Amino acid sequence: MPKKRTALALAAASAATMMALAACSGAPAGPAADAQPVADGTIEYGHQQEPACVFGGWIEQAYLSYQVLDNLVSLDEDHEVVPWLAESWSVSDDQLTWTFTLKDGVTFTDGSPLTAGVVAYNFDHWLAGGNSTAQVWLDGYYASSRAVDDRTLEVSLSRPYPRLADTLTQGYFGIQSQQALETRSEEENCASPIGTGAFIVEEWNRGENIVLARNDHYTSWPANAKHEGPARVEKVNWRFLPDPTTRTASLKSGETDAVYDVPAIEWATVDGGGYELHKYVTPGRPQQLTFDTVDGPFVDERVRKAFAYSLDRRSLVETIGRGVIPYEGNGGVSRTTPGYSTDAAEAYDLDLDEANRLLDEAGWTRSGGEGVRTKDGEQLTVVLPYGAGSIINSDGASILQGVQEQAKASGFDVQLVPVPQSAFFSGAYSTPEEKDISAGYWTSVTAGILHINWRPTTPEAPNYNNDAFNADPVLENIILRANSAVDPQEQNALYGEAQDYIAEHALAIGLYDRLSTLAVSPFLKGVWQENAQGGPVFHDAYFVE
Amino acid sequence: MTILDRRPRFARTAPGGGTPTRRGPRRSPRPAPDLVAAVLVLVFFAVALAAPSALAPRDPFALDLVNALRPPSAEHWFGTDESGRDLYTRIVHGARQSLLIGVGATVLSLAIALVLGSLAALAGRFVAGTVNRVVEVLFAFPTLLLALLLVAVLGPSAWTQVVAVGVGTAPGYARMIRGQILSARNSGYVEAAVALGHPRGWILRTHVLPNAIRPLVAVFALSVGQSIVWASSLSFLGLGVAPPAPEWGALLDAGKIYVTQAWWLTVLPGLVIVLLALATTTIGKHIQSALEKGEK
Repeated sequence: MPKKRTALALAAASAATMMALAACSGAPAGPAADAQPVADGTIEYGHQQEPACVFGGWIEQAYLSYQVLDNLVSLDEDHEVVPWLAESWSVSDDQLTWTFTLKDGVTFTDGSPLTAGVVAYNFDHWLAGGNSTAQVWLDGYYASSRAVDDRTLEVSLSRPYPRLADTLTQGYFGIQSQQALETRSEEENCASPIGTGAFIVEEWNRGENIVLARNDHYTSWPANAKHEGPARVEKVNWRFLPDPTTRTASLKSGETDAVYDVPAIEWATVDGGGYELHKYVTPGRPQQLTFDTVDGPFVDERVRKAFAYSLDRRSLVETIGRGVIPYEGNGGVSRTTPGYSTDAAEAYDLDLDEANRLLDEAGWTRSGGEGVRTKDGEQLTVVLPYGAGSIINSDGASILQGVQEQAKASGFDVQLVPVPQSAFFSGAYSTPEEKDISAGYWTSVTAGILHINWRPTTPEAPNYNNDAFNADPVLENIILRANSAVDPQEQNALYGEAQDYIAEHALAIGLYDRLSTLAVSPFLKGVWQENAQGGPVFHDAYFVE
Repeated sequence: MTILDRRPRFARTAPGGGTPTRRGPRRSPRPAPDLVAAVLVLVFFAVALAAPSALAPRDPFALDLVNALRPPSAEHWFGTDESGRDLYTRIVHGARQSLLIGVGATVLSLAIALVLGSLAALAGRFVAGTVNRVVEVLFAFPTLLLALLLVAVLGPSAWTQVVAVGVGTAPGYARMIRGQILSARNSGYVEAAVALGHPRGWILRTHVLPNAIRPLVAVFALSVGQSIVWASSLSFLGLGVAPPAPEWGALLDAGKIYVTQAWWLTVLPGLVIVLLALATTTIGKHIQSALEKGEK
């Protein structure tokens, strides 16, 4: 009898599992062709990662703050800068003074008015560390800002930066209430920043969700909004569902109306299931590998090149990415970034003979052509830490494992170290002594990201975003000239030159382009991805019957 | 009048001891089928631990991108993963890590439990009381929570898993050992030995500890399977051995993203964990019942 009971229990458990899996794979019945919009409602949205604050320097924060804060300008589908809080702007002939004219009658959700003085205060706040990413964007260019009158803001630069307006479209440049910044605690402004945006933060249950409630008095939608007026839905329940399988299953089972970051393996089933899929290839730094050029084996350029030649990155990405994740050979910027260099992207293909020749020449040898190479008794072991689940998702982790295995063929011993989110953002594995390769991305609307990633780091002026830990005046000079070039063609050519330089010296190699993907229920319409960073926009979204 | 049971369950043979009772001709018992199956499973995994290449000659890390995510077939018995790695090979080669973590954690757990349990039962009032309170506090934490706490402090690795699971499961065993020692100490045969004037140390060595520790043989077998499950749980949560190590919990974790498209990546490693846990549990239960029979 006990054996029969066990068998029955096992059969029941198997059946339940299969039923659960089957339930997860069911397609939703779509709305009728003449389905009518439904007023209000709450969007259940499943997102991958939970940041520490709503507003900050990480793209996950930009996605959230985009719902709550408005920027001065927005980016439209043609990548043209269009009005948002600023209704117009101009730049002086010497490119050093930018004048923004603000919309009239806009108020923050705490009742305080939007004025040029408030925006100037925000600029200074960012530069003082109020937003780490905004700070590194403007650092070295921003001089000061002042309110000419309540609606006229003047921003002074120390060096020309013709792409300033494009830069300000990113979520790191959301405008907050000066009154809130001055009178509320840091914790309050972290959890529920006060903006002029379409939603306000109603509550944040850490580890679970953030409830965004409609700002009924919203008047400052961007010029590229799909409708005018406050948000159509009453609330957005922004839930944190880190497990990709659970997240996708929640959409398929109707528990959520939209989810972020659809895993490559689920793409086809979600696509075939009647859901609306959005894919945005983020411009800026792609998912890439940067070599430590000041400590360890990669100080030698030949070893860096050998590593690049030992990989068949395209096959890896195309297999694991299942045609959804694009391969990216360029270690500087991704294919959607203005000024992208194809030459840099094609600099290194799999060539084991060349990899072995370079390593032999560099003095790294091995007996019998197998195993890990050594030099002066030291093994060719290289440490590759990565932000597991935060910077590198499951697909990315599989690709890195492929890199590890492929590099073996030429005698590298790659030690992969998955670093949890909290440790990663606390600075684990951030020094040249702790790692040999850095993996990661940095989204950006322009190739100006090259300045952030490659500005020389010196003891006097450290650049903590330079993963090569180098101080290369040649590369710096090219990028600085590009940043200040007024003519877009000239600028793109210079940015391309910088990428070619990075490839030529094998300072970094690309892996794949970072994606921002969304899957949306057919009963939810009007969701779109903003054009600066690919975050979801819920201001225009509405349900249909 | 109380009749004392003067027979120790386990003791050195006293000089001039009685002759065994004759029970007639004994037939050799037929081994239970579940025991045979369990032993076969353990033998398989013992070979996998000692010489994995004898059972799975392929490289557990070798990529075969053309054959990614292939279902089980004659070529790939357990199918392949997202990079075309052969799952059967990875499971066999992962046995070493999984088993060593399981056995290591069990040994550590029982060693800690033995020290704490003995102190709690035999030490003076102050020390015993303190140890008891410490064990109770540790006992208040669920095993997995205690293990998670240790991993958070020590960082994820195979050794951390051994320590986390070993320490996490020790309080329960410490309580059990304390109970066994107290039970032996208060038994009739110990009272008799005291009455006969044997020295305290001799009684402890000869009667108390052997009788208290003997059930641990069965417990050890039972808890190896449990420790493997705990360690796999930690790896599944991303708190164990770093990928692409083929440790079974890590395989489960890596396969979960593909659960709706490639069931074999989670179901088969899961079944292997269940199979091994069942095998060690079965053997443990048989040892336990054999010991109990021996007492009668």
